[in-house]
Amino acid sequence: MDNILSILIFFPALAGLLGFVVDKHSAKVYGIAVASIELLLSLGLWAKFDTTNGGMQFVEKSDIIPQFGISYNVGVDGISLFIVIMAALITLLGIILLRDNTKNMKNMIVSLLFLEMTMVGVFLTLDAIMFYLFWELSLVPMLYIIGAWGGPDRVYAAVKFFLYTFAGSLIMLVGLLATAYLYHEATGDWSFSILDWYTLELTETQQFWLFLAFFAGFAIKVPMFPFHTWLPWAHGQAPTIGSVILAAVLLKMGTYGFVRFSLPILPDASVTFTPFIMMLSIIMVIYTAMVAFAQKDMKQVIAYSSVSHMGVIMLGVFAMNAEGLGGSVFLMLSHGIVSGALFMLVGVIYERRGTKLMSEFGGLAASMPVYATIFGVMLMAAVGLPLTIGFVGEFLVLLGFYNVSPLGTVLAGSTIIIGAVYMLVLYKRSFFGPLTNEKNKDLEDLDKRELTALIPLVLIVVWLGVYPKPVLEPIDNSVKLLLTQMEKKAISTETKEAIVISKKEAK
Amino acid sequence: MENLVYVALFAPFVGSLFAGLFFARSPKTHLVGVVNSTLIAVAFIAAVTLALHVAEHGPIHVTMMTWIGIGDLNIPFGFLVDEVSVTMMLVVTLVSTIVHIYSTGYMDHDKSYNRFFAYLSAFVFSMMILVMSDNFAGLFIGWEGVGVCSWLLIGFWYQKEDRPFEENPSISPSWAANEAFIMNRIADLGMLVGIFLIYWNTGSLQYDVVFDKLPHLADGLLVSIAIALFIGAMGKSAQFPLHTWLTDAMEGPTPVSALIHAATMVTAGVFLVIRANPLYSLEAVHGVSMFIASLGAFVAFYAASMALSARDIKRIVALSTLSQLGYMFAAAGLGAYWIALFHLAAHAFFKALLFLGAGNVMHAMDDELDIFKMGGLKKVMMGSYIYMFIASFALAGLPFMAGFYSKDAIIESAFNDGSYIIWFILVVTAGMTAFYSFRQVFFTFHGEERYKALGFHPHDMYKYVLVAMSPLAILAISFGWFMDSYHEFIIKNLPDYEMSHHTEHLAPYLGGLVIILAVTGIVIAYKKYAGTGENAWKRDEEFEKSFIYRLVANQYYVPQFYDQYIVQPYKIASAKFWEIDKAVVDGFVDFIGKGAYKTGDVSRRMQNGNLSSYLNWMGVGALILVLIAVISSVIG
Repeated sequence: MDNILSILIFFPALAGLLGFVVDKHSAKVYGIAVASIELLLSLGLWAKFDTTNGGMQFVEKSDIIPQFGISYNVGVDGISLFIVIMAALITLLGIILLRDNTKNMKNMIVSLLFLEMTMVGVFLTLDAIMFYLFWELSLVPMLYIIGAWGGPDRVYAAVKFFLYTFAGSLIMLVGLLATAYLYHEATGDWSFSILDWYTLELTETQQFWLFLAFFAGFAIKVPMFPFHTWLPWAHGQAPTIGSVILAAVLLKMGTYGFVRFSLPILPDASVTFTPFIMMLSIIMVIYTAMVAFAQKDMKQVIAYSSVSHMGVIMLGVFAMNAEGLGGSVFLMLSHGIVSGALFMLVGVIYERRGTKLMSEFGGLAASMPVYATIFGVMLMAAVGLPLTIGFVGEFLVLLGFYNVSPLGTVLAGSTIIIGAVYMLVLYKRSFFGPLTNEKNKDLEDLDKRELTALIPLVLIVVWLGVYPKPVLEPIDNSVKLLLTQMEKKAISTETKEAIVISKKEAK
Repeated sequence: MENLVYVALFAPFVGSLFAGLFFARSPKTHLVGVVNSTLIAVAFIAAVTLALHVAEHGPIHVTMMTWIGIGDLNIPFGFLVDEVSVTMMLVVTLVSTIVHIYSTGYMDHDKSYNRFFAYLSAFVFSMMILVMSDNFAGLFIGWEGVGVCSWLLIGFWYQKEDRPFEENPSISPSWAANEAFIMNRIADLGMLVGIFLIYWNTGSLQYDVVFDKLPHLADGLLVSIAIALFIGAMGKSAQFPLHTWLTDAMEGPTPVSALIHAATMVTAGVFLVIRANPLYSLEAVHGVSMFIASLGAFVAFYAASMALSARDIKRIVALSTLSQLGYMFAAAGLGAYWIALFHLAAHAFFKALLFLGAGNVMHAMDDELDIFKMGGLKKVMMGSYIYMFIASFALAGLPFMAGFYSKDAIIESAFNDGSYIIWFILVVTAGMTAFYSFRQVFFTFHGEERYKALGFHPHDMYKYVLVAMSPLAILAISFGWFMDSYHEFIIKNLPDYEMSHHTEHLAPYLGGLVIILAVTGIVIAYKKYAGTGENAWKRDEEFEKSFIYRLVANQYYVPQFYDQYIVQPYKIASAKFWEIDKAVVDGFVDFIGKGAYKTGDVSRRMQNGNLSSYLNWMGVGALILVLIAVISSVIG
């Protein structure tokens, strides 16, 4: 099991290559099998994971271009572990949910498995060049999924998605190269290892510019206001599976980037930029929630709500304390589970009715009670009901950020109100009221395939809502370690003061 | 004893799962009603045993497991059974048991019978978490849990369509459910802020730790915490200006109104203030406490004034609940926490009885709510009549009934405190309360049998349901008799509130005044509404057109105000934002994209395959390079 991380990264891609020779009728079964093995492997990783250790585990390192310090370098800690497991889980459930008559099933499966490699790779790699490679490679299968299986405007949406995020990540690449150069200046060695970079001391001006460069890449991916407009297009045109993976996993690459790169490498700039990030995040939370409320299309409501919740995650990342940062990592997971499930649910009704407009529905609770119940559970998780997965992260983020800015927290906290507004209105319009539309009267409730994909998510929503400890504990350890490193590295005293690792120890 | 804590807590949950998981899809299973009622009764018995234990040996504190632990934050699932929480547990489980049994009859013909019981038992479970938790986060779990159950139950008949506001002020069950949820969420944000403040300043959310550290905090901070928590309380307990959801919540089935929107959930805010009494009795937050008392008195009067002319039988009871919640807050704000708690319990009993009685009337009248269409029902519904009479008697605070002791004590404490304005408002409201309660009773059960012309064939509720309601009636009469022994029990945990010598001296007169006003109210109501034949009530159309009548009948235009100045602007702003998002934010992105495309399109013409044009371009390029070299050498 020494190379478990490498297996996790490359197994899906290798299996994907083999997928080309699989009979097209058994492509889906093949995909399920591969994704199941991948999920089991990731769970095995969790089982072997030392939950008391906050540092990198299962580290593998071998040089690729030693002259420039570029190496194959992977490792996992409490922050990345669960995102990887979630990526594996969502991929599996997404494949299960694929309709048997999906056209070009084989291509779809291969794209998804390739995508899985890039997702797992992004979260596990510790080398900046490798990170950049996986980051960019993830665009390709997604571009294909939107462009080949999408709606009528799929080409526009796919190109927009690709070019927009690509433009951002090119600037990020410049930042990465600059950091490596500065590392060389300081130490005389070339290294792209993130862990090496954690020890690199940078002046505040250097940090300022590097922060902006990283910001360009990460913020577009998150997507932060005002760089979010590619997302509604992508969701609007993407097939269900595309939206599910986009919302659940791909967006997390942005917030993960902030946690893995911006915070520990540029602690002073991170603190300096906090008010700026706070402002954008609050606009994201409130503005996109209101835009979500104005939507007529169910999927667009979920898409905008997804952006709105990402704003809360961003706040947590910049809370500079274990409660907020840990909460935001947990919220990345819960957002993945919940928004993934919601996109699946929208897909379910779209398959039946060929429309996502809420005005076409009404009274669905009567004709599809099980569907309505699962939707209701996910709705409650989305609005952050205690004892569902959604509450833990949101509560911790707001709690943590309160220490940074009470006013900002109150403004961002309005998410619990306006979030409830658009979700409840959506639910009322679609599920409540009399069943007037003839087409909705004989709709078939969830079938076995859909239940298989959705029930595990429902169980996770409740399980991690009631007992988040197994996940929170490793996150807590890693987050504390990260904050300690930040504090040690920070130049200015203001930064040191802003970082709160433990109040008890401080006093 | 620890096991009993878990029995009391989880029995309702088991019931909810039983109904929800196994029977949700089958139409009506009598077994569900029986099993769920039994399980709630088990919880009640456990609560009684615990109460006896607490009285003798003091509080029980159990910790089940950690819920959230990160950084310095450690929130357990911990439960505290002390004098305060056990009082609430008794009230909640007792009323719930009766409401469950009642519902087996009331919901008899409903096709979603099983679903109803799943929700109802889930509500009881959430309420138990709310009252039993030993920390603020646990309280918040219950707080939100009851909110969701309330949402599910108000919107229980979700199939009903929206009707215009003019026809039905609460539009539809699903609308009313959303309104309740969203309005409560506004208050919950306040509560969350209170929790954050507590955490960052005391390092814990456990009641005991927090209350120990409170006196060491700065005054301004204490005031902020007190205000934030009270905002939370205002939502759940429907205090002005977050009150409109409560009357609209009457869209839910009547047993729900009795249990959630009269006896238990709406008192959660009062419970929170009582629970946090070490905070609210601090000298530094005296101003906040006085505000609570004043707001309570205002709401008592405000709601009572709307009840005077209401026609909808359930709205009348809901408004009277609102008014009584005002009394409770007045008491709590004045520092008479135990009196507030005592009134909370007494109110739970007689108000639940009143609601269930109103439910019987509705059931008999095919869900007709307009009391103008009733009258003379006494003859056909003797059982319900007696119950509603008892409940109204208790509500009006007539001698030796439950309300007499508890409400009178509140009014006296206002006098004792020297808050004569609050006292005056509460006294006047007491008279109004008697009037509107009996107006309703006389309208429904006395006078001309107006329903006959409209073709109703009323019949009373099942016998066993009427029998099941009897404990409430007994308590509505006798609960006040135990005031002294309850006082002895509760002051082990809550600060005592003794009347000063001066007030004690005047007490009989003060009580007498309230009784006189109450009796006057009843007599006026009797004269106006109970007569038959010659003396029968006649509709006064002229009065109904007057400004004051319309003002009150339209709930002081508060719902219209909210719609016009909050809901509509929010809708318009949202739509505008969407436009901006498409046109400006996305438009800018497309502008850059198109700009790049255009540039490429234009510059493409350079590559026309003509050698001489290429040479020209090369010359231009070389010239530019030379220029740059010159300029840079000049500058550099």
